[in-house]
Amino acid sequence: MTEPLVHLESVTTGYHTTPVLRNVDLEVYPGDFMGIIGPNGGGKTTLIKLILGLQPLFKGKLHFPAGRPRMGYLPQASQVDRSFPITVKELVSSGMKTRKAWVPFLSASQRKRLEGMLEEAGLSGYAGKPIGELSGGQLQKALLCRALIDNPELLILDEPNTHVDKQFEQELYQWLQQLNKSIAILLVSHDIGTIAPIIKSIACVNETLHYHPSNQLSEEVLKVYNCPVDVIAHGPVPHRVLKSHDHE
Amino acid sequence: MTMSDFFSIFQYQFFQHALAAAALTSVIAAMVGTYIVSRKIVFIGGGITHASFGGIGLAYYMGLNPFAGAAVFGVLTALGIEWISDKGRVREDSAIAILWSLGMALGIIFVFMTPGYTPNLMSFLFGNILTVGMTDIRVLLVYAILLILLFVIFYRPILYTAFDPEFAKTKGIPVARYRYMMSVVMALAIVLSIRTVGIILVLSMFTIPQITAMLFTRNFALVMPLAALWGIVGSVAGILMAYVLDIPTSASIIFFLTMQFLILKSIIIIRNSMLRKNR
Repeated sequence: MTEPLVHLESVTTGYHTTPVLRNVDLEVYPGDFMGIIGPNGGGKTTLIKLILGLQPLFKGKLHFPAGRPRMGYLPQASQVDRSFPITVKELVSSGMKTRKAWVPFLSASQRKRLEGMLEEAGLSGYAGKPIGELSGGQLQKALLCRALIDNPELLILDEPNTHVDKQFEQELYQWLQQLNKSIAILLVSHDIGTIAPIIKSIACVNETLHYHPSNQLSEEVLKVYNCPVDVIAHGPVPHRVLKSHDHE
Repeated sequence: MTMSDFFSIFQYQFFQHALAAAALTSVIAAMVGTYIVSRKIVFIGGGITHASFGGIGLAYYMGLNPFAGAAVFGVLTALGIEWISDKGRVREDSAIAILWSLGMALGIIFVFMTPGYTPNLMSFLFGNILTVGMTDIRVLLVYAILLILLFVIFYRPILYTAFDPEFAKTKGIPVARYRYMMSVVMALAIVLSIRTVGIILVLSMFTIPQITAMLFTRNFALVMPLAALWGIVGSVAGILMAYVLDIPTSASIIFFLTMQFLILKSIIIIRNSMLRKNR
């Protein structure tokens, strides 16, 4: 049987001494594409930061049964300082894990990988430009390249669809679907309606976590999960739910 | 003043020392200042600068070298601020304000308590580049060389940890180690530069040439040499103006650096508006 990439057992975590998430159990397997939804302040970002090793563990166990997987991380756009004097090339190459971070130059193979990555994302012409000159969509692409350049086994994305237009959003989802053929993905989103068609399972996070093994949820189930999100998909066509209704 | 009077000043050793100190301080401030401005931690720089005055006062009181005292206070303040920022238990800006004013208060108390000769506070507060000696220049030169080596060898981790520390951490870079190292580097650079322009004005050497350089490039590696260039041009021009008009050197340097920025910014604004009209 396939071992999970990540295994959380009765985990409690938070900031300083205040718990944000309690008694969380979760397993992430190769090939998973999990949407993480929940209200603001419910602990979605805290959960992914715990997996990334950025968050202290108060109680419980966090295992990587097959060894710590290579992880790619795309933070929220608001966390990125666009005025910082860093070029697109430097931004993307910062995703390369190397034991010798202090070596000032990239190796020939690293340079080749970087150039290939930028070309694939259509950013070759922007390689030497500062990130402040990119549009919202281009910046997200560059950040995604940074997350992917180390060939991750697990890709973690925090609200990748904010500050981007609809066209880029669709392009991003197609890209993610393609990537999911070889990479497990955890996708935090405030808008489950748009990600429902591409995800395979859902984690509802609101102080604790309820795992739902499909990409469809009803309002009733969400109530049981105590996961108040006002935008949710259910039924065959993803749509915004304004009030309780049935599907044929 | 005739032209020959003007050029005669270059014969004097104290003037040559002043120019060398200004150039070396510009190089040091360019590298460290680019880090400070990029990370938006100018306020931390202010805290370190003013807290170091406590060290100057204590060293005077104990009969030690005042700049050694400033270095100890500066480094401890920088490490303290980074620790507070890392742990996040106290608001960072409040902690800086406390250390800032405490350092100044301690400096004044110790200088006041020092028996006999009262040191000239003005030279610490506003600097006196014309009294810089050969030893000072050697220290500045060694520090400038060390900084160039540091930024060349550790360029990538310094850049990555400054830009996105959380992401850098996920890639296994020891972020805290680099941040603390840069805090020490920053504190020593600021303390060494106090000799040139003094506590009150030193921060402008670490910010104005950098924002001037950023008018032309947003590439960290290019901002540093360009900021050094603007720093050297502004400080040498400032020293010469101070000589011609017989005004305080440090204030003249800062005035020139600011004018340089404003003139270049205005030129860029006018050029951009003309380009827009021609489209």
